[in-house]
Amino acid sequence: MFYAGLDIGSTITKVLIKNERKVCTTVIKPTGAEHRRLANEIMDEALRKLNLTTANISYIVATGYGRINVPFADKQVTEITCHMRGINWLFPSVKTIIDIGGQDSKGIKVDNGKLVNFVMNDKCAAGTGRFLEVISDLLGVKLDDIGEISLQSTRPTNISSICTVFAEQETLLQLSKGTSIEDILAGIHRASASRIHSMVKKIKIEKDVAITGGGAKNIGLCKALEERVGFPVIVPPEPLITGALGAALIASEETKKISKEELIEKQLKRRWEAVTFFDEKPTKG
Amino acid sequence: MSFIIGLDIGSALSKAVIMQDKTLLSSGISPSEGNFLSAINSVLQKALGKAKLAISDIDLIGACGLGASFIPHSFHKISDISCQSRGTSYLLPTIRTLIEIGNQSSRIIQVTEQGKVADSLVSDKCAAGSGRILQIVAKVLKVDLKDMGQLSLKSTQPVKFTTGCAVFLETEAISRVAEGASRENIIAGLHQALTARIAAMAHRMGLKEDCVITGGGAKDRGLVKIMGEKMGKTLLVPDNPLITGAIGAALIVTEKKG
Repeated sequence: MFYAGLDIGSTITKVLIKNERKVCTTVIKPTGAEHRRLANEIMDEALRKLNLTTANISYIVATGYGRINVPFADKQVTEITCHMRGINWLFPSVKTIIDIGGQDSKGIKVDNGKLVNFVMNDKCAAGTGRFLEVISDLLGVKLDDIGEISLQSTRPTNISSICTVFAEQETLLQLSKGTSIEDILAGIHRASASRIHSMVKKIKIEKDVAITGGGAKNIGLCKALEERVGFPVIVPPEPLITGALGAALIASEETKKISKEELIEKQLKRRWEAVTFFDEKPTKG
Repeated sequence: MSFIIGLDIGSALSKAVIMQDKTLLSSGISPSEGNFLSAINSVLQKALGKAKLAISDIDLIGACGLGASFIPHSFHKISDISCQSRGTSYLLPTIRTLIEIGNQSSRIIQVTEQGKVADSLVSDKCAAGSGRILQIVAKVLKVDLKDMGQLSLKSTQPVKFTTGCAVFLETEAISRVAEGASRENIIAGLHQALTARIAAMAHRMGLKEDCVITGGGAKDRGLVKIMGEKMGKTLLVPDNPLITGAIGAALIVTEKKG
């Protein structure tokens, strides 16, 4: 039996398909404006890789900011629960999860595989991936590279603004003073880490700490966060996928709760949907 | 008969005034554009040129603003808030509350009868609470900042913005454009969002009348109208709301050193 988790984030959409024993495949794509179409496309791609159809999937759980836009999902679960489940499966020792997404950041507290508390910033771009995106755009450096570049800094500059817009101005000022891009980026990562740290510490940071989301792919930010936290943090091999993994884990549990007849009915219905919904072509103007 | 210069070197605009015997002789405004030194020189030239004076004729310089430390002459540094309060009170002596919408900060200042600061609140942590957000959205809409006010006044159904962050608000404005919202309604919605921020500060501070609005934001008639309605007060606008800080700097330095 196969289970699917689909995580539609504000910036990146992820799909993970697993069976009882292991993760079978994952697909990661940027989220466009059309969540529904993307959900279909990315699901199709994952299925094709495994030579499966939607009817082969026992249960689908959708999560993330765009989770309501997945018409073929059997259940919607918040990304906080899904991240927690995903990380707990990968690293049972983790008690604090710091998730740095494209447009928000979260702190999640776990105890014995249960969600105990969380904090979230989705009001302000500071301390989210968006902040780093704005600055990397300004510096003309690829977002994927800023972490590595910042590690070469010898004298990190001090970025005092919390606000992304003001930090952007501060960056311009530093550039005009001749500060190197390495030093600016190191300062930017420190500023971002400080913002995230002061939010997450509200729920008390306890060992072990894992970082997930796009921000975890940035080694400069992870190092700056480690400095703030005061001990090494765990970064999953693919930090983008933990939400989808958690969703797939929940999918496999949910399957056990329903009868065989219900399951077959679900799969048949999905096959019908597969014909009507997936074949729909975009209508233009 | 000494000549006094007042300078207000802001993050967006540099302002200069020349005063004699507490009378305004001339003024000048130049964009700061990240180069404070050249902005200061340009704005001094403008003000001196209009007054037909040379820098050697000047007896005292008083200055405030973020970039004041770049002034290449000897000067007295005075706090922004004191200058705003004194300068505005010079132009409009009846005012008791001053709302300043600057590029990097917004302030609410309670002013005494003598033009001194009684109390103040500053929002300078976030671009969404400052005039900066007006520039960001003007750029998205490809509208001249000067025209924002007129367009806002024509709005019939202001757009509701759900976020308080300038970066997210920019994205939201782009989405609203894509959904077909008119520029007028987007700008009016923006004015409401900024007003909500300032109103929250005003609520903490209390608004004693007369109330005045200064800074770049005061040039935006749409913002002034929406803000006045929301706060239930008539907001006075000085003839030149940008130079109040510079006037205050000149007056205060005169009183201190003159």
